[in-house]
Amino acid sequence: MRTTMTSPGRAALTAVAMVLVLSTGAARAADEPRLDHQSERFHEEPPILGTLLVDRLEHRWRDGQNSVDWDIQGWIGGDTNKLWFNSEGSKVVDGKLERAELQLLYSRMVSEFWDVQVGVRHDLRPEPQTTYGVLGFQGLAPYFFDVTAQLFVSEDGDLSARIEAESDLFITQKLVLQPFAEMNASAHRVSALHVGQGINDVELGLRLRYEVTKEFAPYVGVNWERKLGETANIARDHGEDPNDLAFVAGVRFWF
Amino acid sequence: MHTAPRGLSRRNALKLAGAAGLAGIVTAYPGRRTFAASGPPLELPVERTRITIDGETSNAIAIGGSIPAPTLRWREGEEVIVHVTNRLDEPTSIHWHGLLIQGVMDGAPGFNGYQPIMPGQTYTYCFKLRQAGTYWYHSHSASQEQEGMYGAIVIEPADRDPVRADRDYVVLLSDHTPEAPEAVLRKLKVSEGYYNNGKRTLVDFFRDAGRDGLGSAMRDRLDWGKMRMDATDLADVTGYRFLVNGKGSRDNWTALYKPGERIRLRIINGSAMTIFDVRIPGLSMTVVAADGQNVVPVKVDEFRFGVGETYDVIVMPTEDKPFTFFAEPIDRTGFARATIATRQGMEGEIPERRPRAVLTMADMGMTHGMDHDPMAGMDHDPMAGMDHGSMQGMDHSSMPGMNHGSMPGMNQNSMQGMDHSSMAGMDHGNMPGMEHGSTASQNQAVGWADAGTPPDAKALSYADLKSFRAREPRAPTHEIEIQLTGMMSRYIWTLNGEKFDEGAPIRVAYGDRIRIKFVNTTMMAHPMHLHGMFVELENGQTDRMPKKHVVLVPPGQVTSVQLTADEPGEWPFHCHLLYHMASGMMTRFIVEPRTASL
Amino acid sequence: MRLYNRTLSTVAALMTGTTLIAAPAAAFAAPGEAGHKHDTAAIGEPAKATAKTRTIQITMGDNYYEPNAVQVKAGETVRFLITNKGEFLHEFNIGTAAMHAAHQKEMATMMEHGMLTPTGINKGMAGMDHSRMPGMEGVSMKHDDPNSALIEPGKIKDLTWKFTKNTTLEFACNIPGHYESGMVGKVDVQR
Repeated sequence: MRTTMTSPGRAALTAVAMVLVLSTGAARAADEPRLDHQSERFHEEPPILGTLLVDRLEHRWRDGQNSVDWDIQGWIGGDTNKLWFNSEGSKVVDGKLERAELQLLYSRMVSEFWDVQVGVRHDLRPEPQTTYGVLGFQGLAPYFFDVTAQLFVSEDGDLSARIEAESDLFITQKLVLQPFAEMNASAHRVSALHVGQGINDVELGLRLRYEVTKEFAPYVGVNWERKLGETANIARDHGEDPNDLAFVAGVRFWF
Repeated sequence: MHTAPRGLSRRNALKLAGAAGLAGIVTAYPGRRTFAASGPPLELPVERTRITIDGETSNAIAIGGSIPAPTLRWREGEEVIVHVTNRLDEPTSIHWHGLLIQGVMDGAPGFNGYQPIMPGQTYTYCFKLRQAGTYWYHSHSASQEQEGMYGAIVIEPADRDPVRADRDYVVLLSDHTPEAPEAVLRKLKVSEGYYNNGKRTLVDFFRDAGRDGLGSAMRDRLDWGKMRMDATDLADVTGYRFLVNGKGSRDNWTALYKPGERIRLRIINGSAMTIFDVRIPGLSMTVVAADGQNVVPVKVDEFRFGVGETYDVIVMPTEDKPFTFFAEPIDRTGFARATIATRQGMEGEIPERRPRAVLTMADMGMTHGMDHDPMAGMDHDPMAGMDHGSMQGMDHSSMPGMNHGSMPGMNQNSMQGMDHSSMAGMDHGNMPGMEHGSTASQNQAVGWADAGTPPDAKALSYADLKSFRAREPRAPTHEIEIQLTGMMSRYIWTLNGEKFDEGAPIRVAYGDRIRIKFVNTTMMAHPMHLHGMFVELENGQTDRMPKKHVVLVPPGQVTSVQLTADEPGEWPFHCHLLYHMASGMMTRFIVEPRTASL
Repeated sequence: MRLYNRTLSTVAALMTGTTLIAAPAAAFAAPGEAGHKHDTAAIGEPAKATAKTRTIQITMGDNYYEPNAVQVKAGETVRFLITNKGEFLHEFNIGTAAMHAAHQKEMATMMEHGMLTPTGINKGMAGMDHSRMPGMEGVSMKHDDPNSALIEPGKIKDLTWKFTKNTTLEFACNIPGHYESGMVGKVDVQR
């Protein structure tokens, strides 16, 4: 097993975390009007806002074991600087937690549609628990695709990447079709995590939701995941099917 | 040149208030009240209250005990003293919208040394009225204006009023939401399209594809998608009830008349976010004043009404029947309604609702290259329907007042981006052939400017506004370009790309004559408001440019104004859409005293 | 031609200073309700200034008359001496409210076509064939509109009128928006 204190990756992560803390502190100051006197302020301070979006909380029915999956994001901050939170994971129904990932990022607006994000990711599952440094961007691409692209450096120095995109197509004002795509890749083979070198997997989803309110929408859909290349081979070696097709039903809600 | 402030200094004013010993003991004014022209100081407490609209009650803030606040009827030349007592648990302020006033009395916190009125405090405003006309007053703190802090000001002229009316009514339009303003702003920031329930859908796509062809519909969607813009983005906030003098459409505020009487309606758009199309089916409106300033009377059937603007109109119903005053927001999510009637309780017909416009690429300023050389970039092709043959031999140069009213077949949509201001005297507002939407299907309005005006109706255009009194203005010595900018997806609104107090303020010298050119790079209209001074709208007039305190700049268009910087101070200059201002669309307009030898 | 159709002629004649074209009267629909006839006799008749029994001075301002009410006797011939002290072009026109309403539409058309400007009569438009301009078909160039005087800023004109019947009339300015602004006065014709 890996040591915790001596790893160079760990040192890098500590540095990232410090940057994160310092920059969000500064974020607050940067969002305030630059006026000398408290009394001369036009308004009260610009509001520090926050939101939490549970984009997917769903039951997946498949050939094998059914599972409950989630994808959550949230932020707190101002226009320019935000503290950003991501989580996704999967738990077998009546079974074990298979995947659980948490991200805490400092997110800074760099253009009208894009934020650059830096921070840490910690995977509780699969084991062994792994911590990563994260550098990425998040925003709205042309044709209204919400895009997140992230580069990860694990505490052992392994390099990997992920890109995901989703979009909302309004069929009516309340009925919304959401296509979704994700791809993972790794520069290294990480045997402990069953990850091969190269493109690891692609995932495609299509969900149809009905917005009872803007904040609350139940949905149904389909989700297909396919492991590729070396990762697929590793999966087969472990007796797993590299193909995963699931029908899903869940709710999307936010505050 | 910078003369010492006249009247009371703020410190003196506060002393005065203290001496009066009245701070905290103020009269409550139940219901609407009109104050006398002269006499004792006014007492205007600001306090939380509840407002009932069409039977539904929600939270609100009142000035002087009512919503709207009491109409202040004053006379030009008077000196007025107003004690404003803050009975809220947050800072407040009152701004006198449109009044020429000493900076510290203007009531915008953070400007000209004016500080917000803290809870429990009383601030004494004292100023001399240097103008006549219809104005209004409202909070300039946070989003309190949205919660009910607005009222009308009517200043009678010292000289004879060029308008004689038998009845005189204030018609104050506003929008009210039971949601707290902070909650509204949060939703806009978190989920920008939250309030848009008119997004383009797949259903719309198939309809458009059926009408315009699949390729065309697809290209259109891709064009918008590429820009990450929404063609249905007409208003940011919905869920409003639209009020006339604080009354909902079912409450039906009523103005009484006797047939044959002249009724002066002083119409004020005191909304937070709502641009209206206003009409009174069956009655022509003669516009006699805009933003409090008299104009050469112009008869119209309807007008588009920017937030913060005022229009005084005369109507003369001769029949004994009810007429409906009807104001639809441009996103058509409801309507404000009142009745002009011979008896209380009468109700006029609710007219058919107008279609909601879909924005075009022209509204995105895609034709900006066309608006510099006068007429040079104008596309004459769409004017093919004009019959030049029947106008042969006409000397156009001798027709300064020429109006294209009889040119059918002109297509407004393909003329967007034309710089109308450089076509002196041509009245485009009157082109019935250009009536917006006549070419489109009946239920669809195309382009921001398309109010769905019927072909035989006349909608007011800015070009119709002519100052009542002619002036010989100096030519501007320099030009300031202000880009109206924003990031819709983040709900950040800016001037020249910078949020309030992040960008450099605008500085001009006292006495300068300048041109301000608003270049609207966004897809929304912005009612731009300058405190402290009137701007003169470059609308094709030469000696009769109308004076305005709010100029509605359409999406993707360029609008220019001139002004003489004759009021020293540090004035707010902002978009009057409340949440645009709150999210950064504001700057400081500093008129610096000349550093003359003393 | 009925009385009100002639005001256009007045303007045209003022602009040209001469009578140019005979009225193609048939082409011009009556303003207001079709077929509605204004009985000239109901409001009185033009008279020679020498026939006056008295003179009433009226001052025009922007946009008002001073005084804005006069009393006359039926059968009386009054010379109105009207001074325009305003900055705008104004009219002094004797008629009923309905006649004024009809006339205002004509005036609006002339204003739209640039024949009139807020401050005066556009003499530069003389010589144009207005009859071929859409909306102006059949507008006469003939000058015979006796119950109206168009008075430019700073000018003085007179108009002599014999009031015949016991009725209430209005003197009004039908330049667009002026009537609505209150530029109208009452003529009380008493027995």
